[in-house]
Amino acid sequence: MTMDVNYPPETPEEAAATGTLAARIALKQRAGGVVVPVMTALLAFLIGGFVVLATGHNPLLAYRDIFNGAGLNWVFHPTTNVANTAAYNLSQTLLQTTTLILCGLAVAFAFRCGMFNIGGQGQYFIGLYVANWLGYDFAGMNPVPHILLAVGAATLAGALWAGIAGFLKATVGAHEVISTIMLNWIAIWIGEWLFGDGGPLQNAANKTVPISNDVASSAQLPVFWGQKELQGLHVGFFVALAALVVFWVILSRTTLGYEVRAVGFNPDAAAYGGINVKKNLFRAMAISGAFAGLAGALDMLGYLYHFGQSDIPVSSVGFLGIAVALLGRNTAVGTGLGALLFGALLFGTTHGLSSNVIQPELAGNLTYIIQGLIVLFVGADVLILYVWNTRRRLRPRARARAKEAAA
Amino acid sequence: MTEWAQRLENPLSARLRDPATTGYAGLVLGAFAAFLAIPPIQARTITWPIVVGIVAAVLGIWTAARGRRRLGIGAVVTGIIGIGLGILATRSGVGNLNDAFNAALIAQMFAFSTPLVFGAIGGMFSERSGVVNIGLEGMMLMGAFWGVYGADKGGSWVVGLFVGAGIGAVLALVYAYFAIHLRADQIVGGTAVNFLALGITGYFFFQLYHGNYISQGVSTIPNVRIPFIADMHFLGPAIGDLNLMIWASFVLVILSYVVVFKTPIGLRIRACGEHPRAADTVGINVYAVRYGAVVLSGILAALGGVYLSDGFGGGAFNDNMTAGRGFIALAAMIFGNWRPFGAFGAALLFGFSSALALRLQVYSASASTLFNVLPYVLTLIAVAGVIGRTVPPAADGKPYRKQ
Amino acid sequence: MAEEIVLEMRSVRKEFPGVLANDDVDLDVRRGEVHALLGENGAGKSTLMNILYGLYHPDAGEILVHGKPVAFASARDAIQAGIGMVHQHFMLIPVMTVAENIVLGMEPVRDGVLLDERAAEARVRELSGRFGLVVDPASLVSAITVGQEQRVEILKALFRGADVLILDEPTAVLTPQEAHELFDIIRSLKADGKSIIFISHKLNEVLEIADRITVLRRGKKIETVPREGATEASLARAMVGREVLLRVEKTPAQPGDVLLAVEDLHVHDDRGIEKVRGVSFQVRAGEIVGIAGVDGNGQTELVDAITGLRKPTSGRIEVAGREVHQATARRMLDAGVGHIPEDRQRRGLVLEFTIAEDIALHDYAKAPNARWGWLFPTRLVGRAARLIREFDVRGGGPLTRAGGLSGGNQQKVVVAREISRDPRVLVAAQPTRGLDVGAIEYLHRRIVAERDEGRAVLLVSLELDEILSLSDRILVIYEGEIAGEHAGAASEEEIGLEMLGGKERSAA
Repeated sequence: MTMDVNYPPETPEEAAATGTLAARIALKQRAGGVVVPVMTALLAFLIGGFVVLATGHNPLLAYRDIFNGAGLNWVFHPTTNVANTAAYNLSQTLLQTTTLILCGLAVAFAFRCGMFNIGGQGQYFIGLYVANWLGYDFAGMNPVPHILLAVGAATLAGALWAGIAGFLKATVGAHEVISTIMLNWIAIWIGEWLFGDGGPLQNAANKTVPISNDVASSAQLPVFWGQKELQGLHVGFFVALAALVVFWVILSRTTLGYEVRAVGFNPDAAAYGGINVKKNLFRAMAISGAFAGLAGALDMLGYLYHFGQSDIPVSSVGFLGIAVALLGRNTAVGTGLGALLFGALLFGTTHGLSSNVIQPELAGNLTYIIQGLIVLFVGADVLILYVWNTRRRLRPRARARAKEAAA
Repeated sequence: MTEWAQRLENPLSARLRDPATTGYAGLVLGAFAAFLAIPPIQARTITWPIVVGIVAAVLGIWTAARGRRRLGIGAVVTGIIGIGLGILATRSGVGNLNDAFNAALIAQMFAFSTPLVFGAIGGMFSERSGVVNIGLEGMMLMGAFWGVYGADKGGSWVVGLFVGAGIGAVLALVYAYFAIHLRADQIVGGTAVNFLALGITGYFFFQLYHGNYISQGVSTIPNVRIPFIADMHFLGPAIGDLNLMIWASFVLVILSYVVVFKTPIGLRIRACGEHPRAADTVGINVYAVRYGAVVLSGILAALGGVYLSDGFGGGAFNDNMTAGRGFIALAAMIFGNWRPFGAFGAALLFGFSSALALRLQVYSASASTLFNVLPYVLTLIAVAGVIGRTVPPAADGKPYRKQ
Repeated sequence: MAEEIVLEMRSVRKEFPGVLANDDVDLDVRRGEVHALLGENGAGKSTLMNILYGLYHPDAGEILVHGKPVAFASARDAIQAGIGMVHQHFMLIPVMTVAENIVLGMEPVRDGVLLDERAAEARVRELSGRFGLVVDPASLVSAITVGQEQRVEILKALFRGADVLILDEPTAVLTPQEAHELFDIIRSLKADGKSIIFISHKLNEVLEIADRITVLRRGKKIETVPREGATEASLARAMVGREVLLRVEKTPAQPGDVLLAVEDLHVHDDRGIEKVRGVSFQVRAGEIVGIAGVDGNGQTELVDAITGLRKPTSGRIEVAGREVHQATARRMLDAGVGHIPEDRQRRGLVLEFTIAEDIALHDYAKAPNARWGWLFPTRLVGRAARLIREFDVRGGGPLTRAGGLSGGNQQKVVVAREISRDPRVLVAAQPTRGLDVGAIEYLHRRIVAERDEGRAVLLVSLELDEILSLSDRILVIYEGEIAGEHAGAASEEEIGLEMLGGKERSAA
């Protein structure tokens, strides 16, 4: 005989509405499996196609051109010769994918701990700045220690930048969404200052342009597919793939990952289990920022080599990372595939198109629209609920059929 | 006895005894210390700023000792910063100071802060009803583009305001549907709205105008020139010739205060944001109230955007014109503790720092760039709870489910 | 005495996925009567009333008000029909005043648009005086007591012209004295011609206040009886369907060494209010010490301090003779304190984890589960499998999500985890909350078994029956202090009085 009001058992809608963010996303993952992300992406592309159609362009041609522009048609005629357009395009797509994998992991890791890291863009920039600074300043060093120094410091810087938000959340409970958004903009303005007229990282040789120095050749990452001069694919790609593995390993095979997941699902139970919740909130944000900072370092040392005031507003990889992580349901495999999708979109829309089908500027904005739609649908679990309910309706029928078969 | 009971019993003396009073006094004095050295007071010796700053710091220490540590430390820090800024100001040339700080600065402050005011008040309505609206930036951007488009195609800025507001409402409706009906995660939804707005405005900006500035001579929102005041020496440049929307923003603040705190609908909105189930059980339609509040926030944010392009911007639009102002508006709302006058004050502060940043070019370009981070840093400090706790509505951000 | 029937529910049926909450239930309420709705947890009482109040829609059946069929689309319709409801979890807004809360949704207006605060306060004072519901309209809800909050809720319903008042477990949050005051209020409402539907699971109260009693069990209506002739035993039998064992069988305790000693403990809550004010007691091996008290008198903070979830401001806690300094949850766990928390879904389990991961919640970082930060999932699974067998956890295996288990089995996982760590002291806070009778019986037997194994058991519960049934010694906590200690036979009345400080006599 107890006192509790007995609310009816949870439907998936109710379960999805309550519970922590991480719990809800995990529920969605169980409910929908792989089907839902695929359907989400397709639906977003469909709606994007309508927008294209409504403004007088042919969506099928546009998508085909984006597909080719991204170099995905390479799979039909594989070759390592970068003079081949498809091969070149693919190498560029994979270049973007590298960054997006890491930015996606940044968001995904924080999500696993129940936090929304919108600050990937700022953490990426901070990593970029630090890599540029160390890449230029220690010009005489040997390549291996130089690269390690720059990459390591940039990763650490990204971790610290996110750590500020984690620290505020752990100590005073400040919502990480607000703090990371603020930190994003602070990082942007720091960059404007660094590379602007008279800024400390401005080009020493030419003081009239607001661009940074070039990274010394000893710090530049080796390119393995294509030419460095023509922006080839650098070894950072493998680092990104390794990061996916590291992500998975941390979460499922270490005590740190256990703690992070526990805090993400249920901080009260975690505390009761003896886990230090505040320490983990900080740690998770710091690790999250480390991934983003690493992305910045690899980009700077891998192919950018310099950065200017005008490059800052244009960069959006940190935000795309949000879409990547959400589409991939915060898993390693999902993030990898999501990063490939968005990398293809990002490059395919900005470089691969001929204007008579659809202008690149339009296509670039189309990416934003598709991205927005994907994030919207993922957030709403529209498709999840649809799939879940369909499964539930089918299950009794399946059982009835099984009974009939057995009879 | 609890704090509230004390306050109810003896309001005035309780307030005076409250360490919060000395804390806030310290903060104000700290800011005042810097203010002493700039026009119009323009004290040229460092004595007064130092004295005032020290008083601020002392008040801060006293406040901290009486239990309000964070507030006290805040006052001490402000006092020190005030002294520092005062020193800087007294060391710089009088000419430069006069260039940087003159009456027109006030007008510019209002101009910069108006989009923020619209956004912050809009955000306040939405959050007071329980729906977090991170998408203010996107709604403002939509207003900025479609407002100028409306002014262009419709021939008048009035059409522009309506079109902008309408599109803002539509976007907000989409967001409201996802957040309220589908109970999507509101932060994710808001982020999606921002992406969508960026993509849609960029797409159609290119499609319709090929990325050039909108055609010359498009109808812009007019200024309101007050004949008597405009000719005065100080008040003239300050408030004599402000844009219509700036005056509209003042009215908006007052109106929103009355609505939220003095009318039944305001009570219901607040109830939905604090305890939606309680509101539901007395027969309030929580969904309808939230929908209304979110759509209103979209309209207001969009109007702020229309002002940005068609008023402040002189009829021009460029890609991603809002450049984060929607987020600063959000910050102003938080800084203002979800209250209209607080948000207004915060928006003025942020507008002031943006205007000042522009003026500081006179000293050096990089200093002025760095000054742009001030709104964000201030908000970080605010959420860190240095200046008292920011208390959002209790059910803010939590989707509501009728059973 | 033929009295007018004001309300009737006929053949009401309501189904949720997997549960038939109301199965063809009939109910009728007369003018000026107190009609009790009695049943166990899960019997369907709250569901039925939520239907009556318009919050749920019935799948079948009809509702008649004054003989006319009605269909409520929402609470607003029910309110207009003269039905008011005071929920178990209050629907009050802490940051608003009493008057604002009462008039919400029906606000008096002046000058066309503005809220008329003065009129609101005046009306509240008027109602307040008429029915003896004393409360200050201008105070904030966050500043009033729970008993006063309930009065505000009743005023809310009366303000809207309720003729039928539904009270859902109203005494759950009251001291016995406040409960008696509530009964006085109910009687005065009755005299005014209002009808009261009183939902409860407490037999003694129902027998005191009700005119007629309807018993629900597992969604069905079992019987409706007048108060005359009903006894606790007859009602209990109707509620449960069999003879109910109101006491657990246990042998007398054989206490050994002191395993838990609490000395002059002071603990503050999150708002800085001192909730535990100098509590001292001891628990020996092989005995069950029960702490009785009304919710909010410091039990939660006391348990938090003993289990390391909250730092006490002063005082000592000794486990097995050794003081635990700077206690954190980790240190207390290591010192040998096991904790069955009061809210298993919030505190006890991570529902998204598998049973194996949940069982490891305290020990995941220690060998053999992990070494140098590296986790070995197979070892977790093995241990979980053993414990599942030992504690007869049903509904899944080591890799089943904890959230997929029933309440009773979830609690078994928690208990299995705690006991398998061989704690010296077992702190059980509300261990049977929300469980069905079978699970409750299992847990009670288990707790007694652990006591017999030589553990020191501290039982904190809001259910006086549970305390009386299980404890060897009973401590009563009131406003953060131990108000009384009873060993051996203790009467419910004595303890009830101490639960309110022994200052006031309960009205007859």
